[in-house]
Amino acid sequence: MPATQTQTEQELAALIVQALNLETVAPGDIDPEQPLFGEGLGLDSIDALELALEISKRYGFQMRSDDENNRQIFASLRALASHIAAHRAQ
Amino acid sequence: MRQRIFVDGIAFWSPQLPSWEHARAACNGDYRPPTTAAARPTPTLLAPTERRRAPDSVAVALEVAARACEQAELDPATLCSVFASTHGDLAVTDSVCETLAKTPLLTSPTKFHNSVHNAAAGYWTIGVQCLRPYTAVSAWHYTFAAALLEAATQAVVQQEPILYVAYDIAARGPLGTMAQSAGLLGTALVLAPGPSNTTIAQLDWFTRHNAALTATASDSPLTPILAGNAMHGCLPLLEALAAGSHRNLSLAVSAQLELALELRPHNGENTQTP
Repeated sequence: MPATQTQTEQELAALIVQALNLETVAPGDIDPEQPLFGEGLGLDSIDALELALEISKRYGFQMRSDDENNRQIFASLRALASHIAAHRAQ
Repeated sequence: MRQRIFVDGIAFWSPQLPSWEHARAACNGDYRPPTTAAARPTPTLLAPTERRRAPDSVAVALEVAARACEQAELDPATLCSVFASTHGDLAVTDSVCETLAKTPLLTSPTKFHNSVHNAAAGYWTIGVQCLRPYTAVSAWHYTFAAALLEAATQAVVQQEPILYVAYDIAARGPLGTMAQSAGLLGTALVLAPGPSNTTIAQLDWFTRHNAALTATASDSPLTPILAGNAMHGCLPLLEALAAGSHRNLSLAVSAQLELALELRPHNGENTQTP
């Protein structure tokens, strides 16, 4: 049984599905505690760049490709939503 | 100098005519295209990651490329190819231009990657694991004929079959006022130096300078449906192939260079018409 998504996580999950054109994934299917990259959703480094751009556009703060915490920030839907909540400008 | 090639495979895709069988029947007045239309074909030969990043231009090019190879009964990985598009992917180009104008630091790496004119050829060779050379051609209004000449020349010179893919998508944004195109259209041919059991037509061709060049016009029921697409230059040849009768065609490679074609139907046996 996947963990329940918070409202912010639901919004972010919808953005991920739309921005990365995930054909076979519904936003509600993304388990907030499972890894976003590698296994599972099958996302790769280009997806990380696309996602960072979309997050910058939507939430008004810059994500950096050389941030040493990126592995942690992008670890899961929950981790990413939490990073956005702490840094969002809009 | 007169040269001879053979059409061993053919494919077509447009939203209202999603196969060569549909297009051929519509050409001959045997099928009335529906008003409802498919959005775009699904490029099933791509891995999921490439598939979800493939723009419309790639989806339509890969669909017709795969179907033409199937009809020719040839392994796509063995074929050199020529990919022709008048404008490339104008939807991607428009999006990249808009981003560069407004927020240049937010340029999408996927869109940037998809904006190159040879994107479809790249996806194709990755998808079918083909290491043979490909050529990407654009020659404005002359693109179909110029790239056909390139493919026909390669088939004759290399003495091996070649895949020819031609496609254009709808124009979008400010560029659409200059680079016009409507709808989605893709067609592909497998051209071979000799006949095979899949050959449907023999094509004799030569080029000549012609200061008073009048290219053959499209005159089938496809014309009103597809004339707005930038690749409509493919229609006279497709109409001749659909008719399956002896025809002479004149295509414009430039304002003054004619590609003259003499097309004869072929029954797919390994015998050449004298």
